Amino acid sequence: MQYKSQAVAKPYFVAALALFVAQILFGLVMGLQYVVGDFLFPAIPFNVARMVHTNALIVWLLMGFMGAAYYLVPEESETELHSPKLAIALFWIFLVAAGLTVVGYLTVPYATLAKMTGNDLLPTMGREFLEQPLLTKVGIVVVALAFLFNISMTILKGRKTAINTVLLIGLWGLAIMFLFSFYNPDNVVKDKFYWWWVVHLWVEGVWELILGSILAFVLIKITGVDREVIEKWLYVIITLTLVTGIIGTGHHYYWIGTPEYWQIWGSIFSALEPIPFFAMTLFAFNMVNRRRREHPNKAATLWALGTGVMSFLGAGVWGFLHTLAPVNFYTHGTQITAAHGHMAFYGAYVMVVLTIISYAMPLMRGRAANSNKAQVVEMWGFWLMTVSIVFITLFLTGAGILQVWLQRISDNPMPFMVAQEQANLFYWMREWTGVAFLVGLVVYLASFFIKGEEKATA
Amino acid sequence: MNDTLVGTVPISATAARHPPGDLAIWVFILAELLAFGVFFAVYAIVRMGHVELFDAMQPNLDRNAGAINTVLLLAASWGVARAVAAIERGRQAISGRWLGFAILCGFGFLVVKAFEYAAKFRAGINLATNDFYMFYLSLTFFHFMHVILGLAILIGVWAKTRAGGYSAADHHGMETGAAYWHMVDLVWIILFPLVYVMR
Amino acid sequence: MSGSFTTTTARNIFYGGTLFFLLVFLALTFQNEEIIPKRDRREMLAANPQIAEGKKLWETNNCIGCHTLLGEGAYFAPELGNVVVRLGSKEAVKAFIQGRPAEGIPGRRSMPQFNFSDKDLDAIADFLEYVSKIDASKWPPNIQG
Repeated sequence: MQYKSQAVAKPYFVAALALFVAQILFGLVMGLQYVVGDFLFPAIPFNVARMVHTNALIVWLLMGFMGAAYYLVPEESETELHSPKLAIALFWIFLVAAGLTVVGYLTVPYATLAKMTGNDLLPTMGREFLEQPLLTKVGIVVVALAFLFNISMTILKGRKTAINTVLLIGLWGLAIMFLFSFYNPDNVVKDKFYWWWVVHLWVEGVWELILGSILAFVLIKITGVDREVIEKWLYVIITLTLVTGIIGTGHHYYWIGTPEYWQIWGSIFSALEPIPFFAMTLFAFNMVNRRRREHPNKAATLWALGTGVMSFLGAGVWGFLHTLAPVNFYTHGTQITAAHGHMAFYGAYVMVVLTIISYAMPLMRGRAANSNKAQVVEMWGFWLMTVSIVFITLFLTGAGILQVWLQRISDNPMPFMVAQEQANLFYWMREWTGVAFLVGLVVYLASFFIKGEEKATA
Repeated sequence: MNDTLVGTVPISATAARHPPGDLAIWVFILAELLAFGVFFAVYAIVRMGHVELFDAMQPNLDRNAGAINTVLLLAASWGVARAVAAIERGRQAISGRWLGFAILCGFGFLVVKAFEYAAKFRAGINLATNDFYMFYLSLTFFHFMHVILGLAILIGVWAKTRAGGYSAADHHGMETGAAYWHMVDLVWIILFPLVYVMR
Repeated sequence: MSGSFTTTTARNIFYGGTLFFLLVFLALTFQNEEIIPKRDRREMLAANPQIAEGKKLWETNNCIGCHTLLGEGAYFAPELGNVVVRLGSKEAVKAFIQGRPAEGIPGRRSMPQFNFSDKDLDAIADFLEYVSKIDASKWPPNIQG
């Protein structure tokens, strides 16, 4: 760690991992509810578990991004953070707001929560992933702006590199696109249209800038390859990302009342969306192969390579599977979408946050890398979680294909619930794989408690 | 390409020998050609399913405007090529004039296209009219935007040429811009027969 | 093709390319706004204020947390974009919502009992009927959603 203020990243990473655990536990609850329908009913109905599952994911990834920014921006800008105190204050505000929101979800009926938190003033709740009460949403905006102020001031007074510039654009984009969550017209078509400006333009737009810059930062550090080279790759990748991803939004505009030209535009541009992910895979492997030093942190290298591969598989390949309009006509809103969602989020965003945590945490704890033993355990965590997510994705894809066949294509289409029961075996396998994922997560977390260190050799 | 990207030769040294380069633009050009290529392929596939509609609608397009525009773009490309040839011999003023000529032709394209669009919009045609017009408007509009971008690049290059920014030894920036412009031209040369003429 | 490739060119292409595709996307969005009035049944919204009320109830009870609406949402419970057509009438939809047992159905995926008033139920049914009239390009493929 070169700058004292980088240490503010630590609480962010710790909280992110804690929320990650919560996310997985609620995921297991939902997975069980798929097969044992009345599990925990009516105490925690499926929709509540799902809100906790998805919102915890979003919040912990945001925590991870913020932690990553606090860690890498001082080092890139070669200056201390503008205000470490503000960073710590924002951490507590964000954590308490997220905690209260989850308590709200779990303890009162959603409609009551809406009434209590002033949803009538400006109805924004009850839309997928944007379920947060108005107060929480406003809180997110305030925290995001204060955070951006802190980061922007740091970069302004320091060195401007491609990595911190791209990160900053990504973070500003994240905050700006979130403002569309406050726009909720009565017209369902318009509501859905602009809802995607938050959701799609986050995950297939500005978040990828954040992903790219974090990955580039870690690769520079662990491979020692010239900054010039890595920054060029970064620009090429994010250009391809936005060139395909912005109009790629059209692949959400096939069946929601929007005009049919989106079927063509959306299909063409989203068919090209795997290209930047493929470039990212090439990038990660190329840099590691051309490394000029042997960094003692092997685990971080593994996470970086894993991000390249899994984001390509999850976002690229599984996205492409159902992105063309004629295919999507049958797969839209089925378990295929769920399969893609799981692997894409894990492969791209979960893994990149774990990459920076894996790289930065040992440094913040005063060593170049963890002991070999700790790294081996961490890598076990990597493989358990990654293999589990691959199988979760495969089982959900199986369930999805069965669902599409029985409910959408066959001569005598089955009602939804009847078709679901046919897929029970897949759902059971998914649930057990989910347990394996949890085991992997526990192993991963255990690696943090193994003492000792590995000295830098280069 | 990867070798260049990740070679162990210090990049600054290479950069000193080969000023403003063009590999990045080639990556971008390939991506663009791929997007257009897929677009054309989808056009061909959808057309196969609706041959009658496409054949009935095609005569409504203004082929004269299309032909004039083809000439304008070809002329612009020629101008750009002459400009590069001139700068290679160190003739900055001549190079600048050729670029100016190319830019004028490019603007001519935009004007002709604007008249063409105006006529279509007056007739109440939009992206939802039918599959043929959807493709006609989408493809030509997407290309139209590329012409604007290409012109913006050419104007930048022209200004730099006039300011003496390029020389016989150092004109990679101009070549980069020229490569992009030729791509824009190439796409039109496929688009025009495909959408306006071929039956 | 020369071998050189500078970060400056790459950066300029990033800014230029992004701006360019953003503009194309905004143009498509503009065209979208021109065309959707023919597809989104906004005249129904204007004629019946209950629909907006129904949408609010749909949201504040987090229906999207289990169901899909025009294919978007959770995949735990049936598609509701065409539920009025599938069950045959608004009355049938209301009866279904009203008839959910508070303690759930043993062993099966259960929908909560929301204790809606008759007025609320009317609003929800009107909302779902409105959604079923939106022109969604012939989606879903069949009545089962």
